[in-house]
Amino acid sequence: MEAPPDPGPHASASASAAAPLRAPEVARLREEQEKVVTNCQEKIQHWKKVDNDYNALEERLSTLPDKLSYNIMVPFGPFAFMPGKLVHTNEVTVLLGDNWFAKCSAKQAVGLVEHRKEHVRKTIDDLKKVMKNFESRVEFTEDLQKMSDAAGDIVDIREEIKTDFEFKAKHRIAHKPHSKPKTSGIFEAEFSNDLKSKDLLADKELWDRLEELERQEELLGEIDIDSKPDTLIANGEDTSSEEEKEDQNINVNMMNQVMDSLTPSNCYQNVTNSELFNGQVNSQWNCSINGSNSYHNNEDEEDDDGGDNENDHDTLGAEDNSIPTIYFSHTVEPKRVRINTGKNTTLKFSEKKEEAKRKRKNSSGSGHSPQELPMIRTPADIYRVFVDIVNGEYVPRKSILKSRSRENSVCSDTSESSAADFDDRRGVLRSISCEEATCSDANESILDEEQQENHQKKLFPLSVTPEAFSGTVIEKEFLSPSLTPHPAMAHPVLPTIPERKEVLSEVSEGTTKRVSKFKAARLQQKN
Amino acid sequence: MPSRGARPEDGSGLVPTDNSTQHKEDLSSKIKEQKIVVDELSNLKKNRKVYRQQQNSDIFFLADRTEMLSESKNTLDELRKEYQEIENSEKTKIKK
Repeated sequence: MEAPPDPGPHASASASAAAPLRAPEVARLREEQEKVVTNCQEKIQHWKKVDNDYNALEERLSTLPDKLSYNIMVPFGPFAFMPGKLVHTNEVTVLLGDNWFAKCSAKQAVGLVEHRKEHVRKTIDDLKKVMKNFESRVEFTEDLQKMSDAAGDIVDIREEIKTDFEFKAKHRIAHKPHSKPKTSGIFEAEFSNDLKSKDLLADKELWDRLEELERQEELLGEIDIDSKPDTLIANGEDTSSEEEKEDQNINVNMMNQVMDSLTPSNCYQNVTNSELFNGQVNSQWNCSINGSNSYHNNEDEEDDDGGDNENDHDTLGAEDNSIPTIYFSHTVEPKRVRINTGKNTTLKFSEKKEEAKRKRKNSSGSGHSPQELPMIRTPADIYRVFVDIVNGEYVPRKSILKSRSRENSVCSDTSESSAADFDDRRGVLRSISCEEATCSDANESILDEEQQENHQKKLFPLSVTPEAFSGTVIEKEFLSPSLTPHPAMAHPVLPTIPERKEVLSEVSEGTTKRVSKFKAARLQQKN
Repeated sequence: MPSRGARPEDGSGLVPTDNSTQHKEDLSSKIKEQKIVVDELSNLKKNRKVYRQQQNSDIFFLADRTEMLSESKNTLDELRKEYQEIENSEKTKIKK
């Protein structure tokens, strides 16, 4: 008992940790262990009593049904009794817990009691085990105490242990530099994962690197944050625009294809982007962007008017700068008109036109367009270029779709674009060919091959007039029961109606054998 | 009780003896009780009713007087035997 207090005062922490054999602590440990033991004993006693009660109950229950009735003293409260008879000897209510009871026979009750007794026995066994365990611990602590009390030499040993501990601590500190790279690696990983890594690593290089990474991450993060509120498509758009800014390349085509799939809501963004670019970027950009816009409009057909207007502005601006692709944008306006005035057929037309435009786009991408494009500066050029040669005569293309698909003529993919352009400048061309304009409209919108053929027949006499229109309006009028020749969209075309009527009447007459008739007519003319 | 407080410090070997002493005390009190019960039962008039309490409940079952007397006598004998056994064991321990 003398030894422990001596080393206590100096180097208290390490000494206390290193000297578990000091008397007061050991005594306390023993106390605690004894407490556990006594606690266990009490519990065991309690459970034994419970077990005993269950035993008595079981005995009583097993013998209860032996007699029909028992004379008993019935308790009235804890202190009063009155004589009575226990009648239902084979009827017991068993408390299941939480004030729930089960009515059962005495035998069943005995079964329940057995089950509960099993549980009680188990708990008693567990408690006994715990008690034994702690008793052995108490013995061990007692032995320790005896040893510490008996031997004063342990003080010296303790000193040695103390030095050992110090050495260990130093060793740990020495390890830190070695382990540094590991921790830094982990640190970086965490950093890349989530931008909050503000630990204390002293390496200046490392920190610089980390800061750099952080800057990059912030940049990326900002982009992400910006793009998140938008849709995925918008996201793509943003990235593409950034690419443009950085590279100043004409990868815009790709971007445009992406943009084509944009929803109407994103249309505005497209427009604005393209407008922005108009200032900075070269003509080709403008062209492609315009093309994309127009294409987009074609797909969406009934876009917002505002968006279309903006597109128009763009295209106007593009015209000044760009040579090749001006015509793309002009398709927008006439198409809208058509949609407003036309019937269901217009939809079909738009679809077909879309297809055509796609093809045209592809071809232009392949490099087919550059050869022809320079030729077309004005709508007139377009009509000059895109003409069918039939029997040595120049016949203006009425339906681009048809001419390409049917007659295998030389017309290029751009023919559609020319048609579109013509649509735009209908006002200009009206003086030249009102009839043909109407015809072209009809061709585009209606898609009935026979009718188109009809128009062609009509148009053959007309020499090289630069015009690709086919008369939709009239056909529509004819198809409608009222032959009144003035649909809202046809007003430029009105004068041509009488001529049309003949054709249409032919058509009506030949409804039964349309195809054969027209084919025959065409063949005749060709011959 | 003071002796009991001192014993644990001396050694663990004394814990069972402590338990046995407690058991012995319990036994002696029980024997006293049982003696009284036997006396009472034996002194009862013949027409008296005897009730036996169901353990851990307030119900009293009517029992036969003579049976209860014999039973209580038996239990008293058993208790005495047990008590004597403990005493003998203690004596042998002391002798050793």
